[in-house]
Amino acid sequence: MNSAALAAKLLALADDEYILGHRDAEWTGHAPILEEDIAFANIAQDEIGHAVLWYNALKDLNGDDPDRLVFFRESSGWRNAQFVELPKGDWAFTMVRQYLFDAAELVRLAETVNSAHRAVAEVSEKIRPEEMYHYRHTSNWVKRLGLGTEESHRRMQAALDSLWPRALQLFAPLPNEDELIAAGIFPAPDKLRAAWEGATRSWLTDSGLTIPTITASAADREQHTEHLAALLAEMQEVARLEPPDVKW
Amino acid sequence: MDTQWPRYEVFEKERPDWPHRNAGSVHAPDAEMALENARDVFVRRPHCLSLWVAPASEIFSMTAEQLAGFDWRSVPAGPDSEPYLVFQKQTQRAAETFVVHVGEVEARSHAEAMSHAVEKFGSGGVFVWWVCPARAVTRSEESDVSAMFAPSESKPYRQPHFYKVIAQLREIKSKASE
Repeated sequence: MNSAALAAKLLALADDEYILGHRDAEWTGHAPILEEDIAFANIAQDEIGHAVLWYNALKDLNGDDPDRLVFFRESSGWRNAQFVELPKGDWAFTMVRQYLFDAAELVRLAETVNSAHRAVAEVSEKIRPEEMYHYRHTSNWVKRLGLGTEESHRRMQAALDSLWPRALQLFAPLPNEDELIAAGIFPAPDKLRAAWEGATRSWLTDSGLTIPTITASAADREQHTEHLAALLAEMQEVARLEPPDVKW
Repeated sequence: MDTQWPRYEVFEKERPDWPHRNAGSVHAPDAEMALENARDVFVRRPHCLSLWVAPASEIFSMTAEQLAGFDWRSVPAGPDSEPYLVFQKQTQRAAETFVVHVGEVEARSHAEAMSHAVEKFGSGGVFVWWVCPARAVTRSEESDVSAMFAPSESKPYRQPHFYKVIAQLREIKSKASE
């Protein structure tokens, strides 16, 4: 097995979960209603919890310390998709992003629970029930907002137009990922993309939304928007105030 | 314009030998979302086996005092009888003020259901009665348990005792008094 390729894959998964969880957490105290504030804070907490599981799997593989990775890494070192680092936008943008992400998670987890790599299978087993609930919750929101008022529909369509092309970055193969696929550790991204499109296209269409046409190819995970550096500056600020070996 | 969503009462069953108990209420645009909101608001702690939600507008509530002179025949009833769920608040103790599910009756109106409920389940010592048509209740499925309820069992950091706040406060106080 190519352990560098596996490490790169685990880092990408962890970074996606962590950055999205952070963006989601920005709604805490600001979500449209109290009940959803609690519901979405739960989802944010779950995503960060999933990131911790992937970071710990990475640590077991190559010794990388999760705290160092999260709180002391420059934006150029992050391997999350741009899809998750974009500012939270309005509620429609947040719901569309979370829905598309949850759907991508579910199709991958359905495969990786049977991964040939034990840690990948175990983490997937733990994450999957939570993602099933996320998907249920966000898909219900998508349908209600898509078929809701003129304003909610307009906002949802605008969010989908912006996010759909960027979501494809979640399925862009990493360098040497083919070795992980051949070893039965991770499924082929194009297979996942087909399953993801199968699920999301029909649900979004039933929700009154139009799937945009894609013209550009997905960005590389080494390329980030200016939004990631701003996010990290805020997120890492407190940790960087203290000496590295401080005990909390 | 009132933009508030309707209120749903939430009933939670925490153990196999316990009845469904009223946990509180949530607002939601419809019953399906109410069930999800109920999960997120009230099932942050372990051991939930089943959730019910019912629109507050479908729940007919009476206190023991109100029942004293109550004649259900004075309230118009529908032509067909249907099952109603019956709930009681059985104690005023602060830690146990739940309204709990006690069973079912058949009736043609909320008022008739209330009357039958008191006949069937009344044995004194009940402070508040609720009846609700069974059709108005949305219930979680057995298959929902793994995704809706089980994950919270592995999240001890959501429990207040996880943080040992009382012990830490004692330590701070003892240092302050030195």
